[in-house]
Amino acid sequence: MRELELYFGPQHLGMVGNFSITLKVEGDRILEATANPGYLHRGFEKLMELRTWIQNFPLVCRINVVEPDPMEMVYAMAVEKLANIEVPERAHYIRSVYLELSRVSSHLFGLWAYSNMLGFDTVAQWAMYHRDLILDLFEELTGGRVYHIYIWPGGVRRDFPEGFKDRIVNTLHSIGGCVPDYDSTFFNNRLFYDRAKDIGKITREDAKKLGAMGQVLRATGVKYDVRKVESYAAYDSIDWDVHTREDGDAYSRIWVIRNEMIESVHMIFKLLDAMPQGKAYSKVLNPFKWKIPKGEAYVRIESSRGELGLYMVSNGGDKPYRVNFRTPSYTHGLTILERLLKDASIADVGNIMISLYVVAPEIDR
Amino acid sequence: MISALKNELESIFKDIQIFVPENSRLIISARGAMILTILNFLKDKGYDHLALISCTDWIEENEFELIYIISSYKADITPVGNKMPDEPVDQRAGVDNRLNIILKTRIPREDPRFITAIPVFENAEAYEREIHELFGIDFEGHPRLIPLFLEREYEIPPFRKDFDTRKYVKDFFDEIPFVENKEK
Amino acid sequence: MMEKLEKNKGSFLGAFKAIRFLWKRPKTLRYPFEPKEPALRYRGFHLNDWDKCTGCGNCADICPNEAIEMVEIPELASKPKEGIKNERPRLDYGRCCFCGLCVDICPPGSLSLSRDYFHIHFDTDTFTFIPKDEKLDNEHFFPAEEYSVLKASLSHRKKDYEGFSSDLEYSLFEPERVPMPEVRPEARKLSFIEQVIGYSKEEAKKEASRCLECRLCEEACPAHLKISDYIRAIYEDKPEESLKKIFEDNPIPAICGRVCMKYCEDACSLSIRGEAVAVRWLKRYVADIIGDYKTALELKPGKPTGKKVAVIGAGPGGLSVAYFLRLKGHEVTVFDSLPGGGGTMRIGPPVYRLPIEAIDQDVDYIASLGVEFRFNTTVGEDLLFEDIRRDYDAVYLGIGTTRSNSTRVKNAEKCLLALNFLEDNKLGRAVEVGEKTVVIGGGNVAMDVARVALRLQNIQHPGKEIMTQTVSLEDWDIMPAKEDEIEEAKEEGIRFNPAWGPKEVVLGEEGEVKGLQCVKVKSVFDEQGRFSPTFYEDKEMFLEGNMIIEAIGQRTDFSFIPEELFAKLEFTERRKVKVDENGQTTIEKVFAGGDIVNTNLDAVTAIADAKIAAEGIDRHLSS
Repeated sequence: MRELELYFGPQHLGMVGNFSITLKVEGDRILEATANPGYLHRGFEKLMELRTWIQNFPLVCRINVVEPDPMEMVYAMAVEKLANIEVPERAHYIRSVYLELSRVSSHLFGLWAYSNMLGFDTVAQWAMYHRDLILDLFEELTGGRVYHIYIWPGGVRRDFPEGFKDRIVNTLHSIGGCVPDYDSTFFNNRLFYDRAKDIGKITREDAKKLGAMGQVLRATGVKYDVRKVESYAAYDSIDWDVHTREDGDAYSRIWVIRNEMIESVHMIFKLLDAMPQGKAYSKVLNPFKWKIPKGEAYVRIESSRGELGLYMVSNGGDKPYRVNFRTPSYTHGLTILERLLKDASIADVGNIMISLYVVAPEIDR
Repeated sequence: MISALKNELESIFKDIQIFVPENSRLIISARGAMILTILNFLKDKGYDHLALISCTDWIEENEFELIYIISSYKADITPVGNKMPDEPVDQRAGVDNRLNIILKTRIPREDPRFITAIPVFENAEAYEREIHELFGIDFEGHPRLIPLFLEREYEIPPFRKDFDTRKYVKDFFDEIPFVENKEK
Repeated sequence: MMEKLEKNKGSFLGAFKAIRFLWKRPKTLRYPFEPKEPALRYRGFHLNDWDKCTGCGNCADICPNEAIEMVEIPELASKPKEGIKNERPRLDYGRCCFCGLCVDICPPGSLSLSRDYFHIHFDTDTFTFIPKDEKLDNEHFFPAEEYSVLKASLSHRKKDYEGFSSDLEYSLFEPERVPMPEVRPEARKLSFIEQVIGYSKEEAKKEASRCLECRLCEEACPAHLKISDYIRAIYEDKPEESLKKIFEDNPIPAICGRVCMKYCEDACSLSIRGEAVAVRWLKRYVADIIGDYKTALELKPGKPTGKKVAVIGAGPGGLSVAYFLRLKGHEVTVFDSLPGGGGTMRIGPPVYRLPIEAIDQDVDYIASLGVEFRFNTTVGEDLLFEDIRRDYDAVYLGIGTTRSNSTRVKNAEKCLLALNFLEDNKLGRAVEVGEKTVVIGGGNVAMDVARVALRLQNIQHPGKEIMTQTVSLEDWDIMPAKEDEIEEAKEEGIRFNPAWGPKEVVLGEEGEVKGLQCVKVKSVFDEQGRFSPTFYEDKEMFLEGNMIIEAIGQRTDFSFIPEELFAKLEFTERRKVKVDENGQTTIEKVFAGGDIVNTNLDAVTAIADAKIAAEGIDRHLSS
C-alpha cells in the first residue's frame, strides 16, 4: 500500500482548538505523527515583560482559553512569593472554591469535546448546558463569563455577593442530580467501552519517562496530585480523595475525569461549610510604584489537566524579567501524543488526543 | 532531608553552589557538562520528573542562563478492585516529593551552545526545540531542531532582550493608525 | 456506587432512557425574545460621572492596552486649586479588554462599568467614544419600557444599568494616610514643644508610596514644584535627589515643610475619598533627614556678572529671590531689621509650629552660596532707600505686611497687637499674661495668638483656672482660619465666640483692662461682597479678660519710601502694588513680590512671585 501524508489540520471536526498533526499513513494505520503547534502563538511571555505587575493580570488569564482560572492563581502565587505578601484566610477558601468550580466547568467542556468527537451529541449538549449554569455563577461573582480576572496578588478582587453560597449549592445539586443520566447515556454505554478500551494505552513506566502528569498519570495507577503533594490555598483543611484507575488507556482516563468531577462537587460543599469570615484582600502597593525585590520563584498547582507551573524571575524592577509557564499540555501534546499515535488508526486520532486532555492554546502560549 | 541531599551533592561534586531559599526548593548552580552528570545522579536517586527547561537572557552580563527544574514522581500506587499492584507504596526512601530542584548554568551570549538532555530525560526534546527557536541556542545531539511555533525567520531570535517588539511591528506591518491619525 | 459501575462493560440499552427529554421543554434560550439579564457586577461599557471626574488621568496610565486617552473638553472649566482639569477619558473599544482596572484605580470613583455590551455598526469611528452617564446624556439612555435589545448599541443604552463599580476596600490605592506622630493636646498646651514630631524613614517611604503621580498637585501649587518627582525619590530612598528636585523651585524646604498652606494637598486626587498624600510632611522629612544641605546639593553660584542687587526683607520672597539671582551669578545683599532671617516667619508662627533652628537651617545654606545678609538694618533709619536705589543695579521689595491693624474701638489703645505679642514671645522677651485672655479675630494669626496665650497661661499660672477665648465677626462657615488650625485650637481648650463683634474695651477704676463688650453680628459682607459689618444693637455680651489682643489683619509699612517716589508707585484696585509680567513696579529699577503684590498672603505664593521677579531682574540686568 502507498504511504500518504495527511494533515489532521487546524480545521477539523474532531480537533479542539487550533492544532495540527501531520500523519504519515499507510491504509488506515499511522506510521508516524508529527505535531504542528504554533497557530495560537501570541508571545505572552514576551508581552508580559513589557507591562507592570498589576497590568499583567488581565493578560495572564488569556493564555488558556478553556480554563483561565489556574493561570491567574499561579501568577498571583508567584508574585506573592517573590514580594512576601500575606493572603488572608478567607481569601484562601474563596480561591479554592473558585478553582474547584473552574475544574468542574473545564471537565464538562472536556466531556463535550470528547463525546462530540465520538458521536454522542446528546451528552455533549447536556455538558455544555451544565457548564453554562456554572458560567452564570462566575458571571455573578466576578463580572465576566469566560475571562474572570478575579484572583490577584493579595487575595481576590471582590467578596461573595449576598446569598451566593445558596446559589452555588442549588446549581451543583441540579448538576449532580443529572449524573445518573450521564452514566446511563455515556459512561455506562457499551459503545463507549468498545471505542475507548485499550486505545492510547500507556504503561506506568512510560508515563513517568515521558513526563506525564494529571489524568494521564493517575489513569495508570499512580496517586499523584499536586494538591496533596504540595498543598496550597485551603486544600489541606478538608478531607478529599485522589481518584485513580489502573489501565492507562482512554477508557480509564475518561473515568478518572468523571470521578474527579464528582469529587470536586463534594469538595465545594465542604469548603463552603468551613469558610471563615474576614477580609478577602490585603492591599498591595500602588501599581505605579510597586517594585519587587530581586529573586526567582517556581510555583505549581494542579489545573484540571495536570501540573501547571510558573517560573518567574524578578530583577528588582516594576516589570517581570522573565516569565515561563510550564503547561501540562506541552508534554502531553507534543511528546506523548506522537508516541501514542504510532500504530493507531485514523479514526482514533481525535479519540487519543482529546482523552489526553490536550488544549492547543496551552501549548503555544 | 534537604540538608542531607545538599551535603551529599557538595561532597561528590566540586565547584557547585547550592542555595536553599525555603524548605521545598533547592537551587544548584554549576558549569557546563557537569549539569548532565548531576541530572543523572538525581534521577538515579529518585527525582525522575523533568518539569521544565527554561532560559533567561541576562543581556547586561552577556550570558544566557539555562534552568532545569526537576521533581519526583514518588507517590502511592493504588490497588483498584481485586488487582494488587506490584509495589503498592513507593519505596524510595530519602526522596521528598515536595522538593523541586532548580539547576542553573550560564553560557556565553556570543557562542550559545549546550548539550542536549535527551539521554537523561526523554521529554526534554520539546523544551529544547522551543529554546532553540526563541533564543537561538544550539543543542548538540538533538535529533530534530526544526521550528516549533514561529512561521518565518527573524534576524534576532524573538525572545532575546534586544528584540524590539514595536520596531518589528512597525517594520513588518506598517503604522497602526490611532484615532487622531485617521482624522488627518 | 463507583465500584459497581467499574466492573461491568456497560449496556446498549441504557442510552434509550434519554428519549424522555424529547417531551421536555428545551433549555435553549430564545434570545432576544427571552432576554437574559446580566449579573449585577457585569463588566460592560463604561459610564463616567462628569460631576465627580477630575480629569486626573490615572485610568489612562494603568490601562494595559493603552485604550484610554485623555482629551480636552473646551466647554468644561479647569480649576487647578481644587484639583479639577478639563480633560475627560476617551475609550477605544477596539483595544479595551473590559478588565476593570481603570475602575479600581479611579480615585474619585466616577468611572464604572455598565451592563450594556452590544454595539454593531458599519462605521469603525463609533467604537471610540467618550463615556458619560445618564445624568448628563439624556438622549442615549432609555428607561426599561422604551429600551429594546434589538436596537442596542452605544447610542441606545438602558437607564439604571450600572455594573462593576468601585469599592474602597478593594481599590488599588490606599485611601488612609500614615498617621503623623504628634504630641497630644493635654501635653502640648503646657509648653512650647514642637507639636509635630516628624516621620521616620519607614513611615516616609510608606507615605510616599501612596502617590499616584497624576500631577494635579503640581498645577495647584503656586510655585509649581515638581512634587511627583520628589516624592518618588523619597520612595526610592534617595533623599539627596529629592532635595535637588525641591531646590529647583523652592530654596526653603524646612520652613515650607512646616507652615505651607498646602494647596497641593487640597488638590490631591486621593483627598476626594480618602486622605491626601502628606506632601508637606514629606518635604519636611527631606529637610530633616539631610540636615546639612551643602553635602547633598552641589549648587554653585553662576559666573560673576558684576551686577549688584539689593533685597529688602529676608522673608520667604526675599530669600528666594536672593537664591535664584545668586545662582545666575549676581551679587546679592539682603537687608532685614530683625536679628536673623525669615522675615515674618521668624516672629509670626510660634515655636511649636516653626522653631528658629529650622529657619536658620535654610538661611544658612543660602548664605553659604555667597549671599550677603545685613541683619538689624532697618531701611529708612540705618540706610536710606534712595541710597540703596542709587548704589545697586536693582532693588527687590520683599517687605511684606509687618504692622498689625487695630479695631479702633473705645480704649483700644490698651490692647496688645498680634504681631508685637508674637514677636516678643518668639524672640524671648518676657510677656506676662493674665488668667483670662480675649483674642479678637478669626484668622490664622488669631489662632496662633490664642494658642501662645494659652501656653503662657499654663506656664505662668499653673493649677489655676485659666481661659483664653476668641471673638470673631465671622461665623463658622466663613471663618478665615484653616480648618486644621481651628481643630487644634479647640483640642487645646480655646473657646470660640463666632459672629460677635467688639464694641468697647471695659476698664476698671485704675485703668486696667477688665474685659470686652461685644455685640451680635448680623452680617459681615454686603451684597456686593465688600466688607461692611452690621450688628444687632440690642444683643450684647461681656467677656471677662485682663488682657485683650487684636489679631484682625496686617498692613504694609511703606514709610521708608520718600514722598516723591511713593507718588509714582501705582496700586491695583485691591490696594496691592502693581507689577508687570517681569515683577517690576512702576518705579524704575524697583521690583516687588510677596504679600505686597498678591492676595494669597502666604509663603509659597511669595516664592512664586520671587521666581518671576528673579527672571525679570536678570533680563533687566543683562540688557
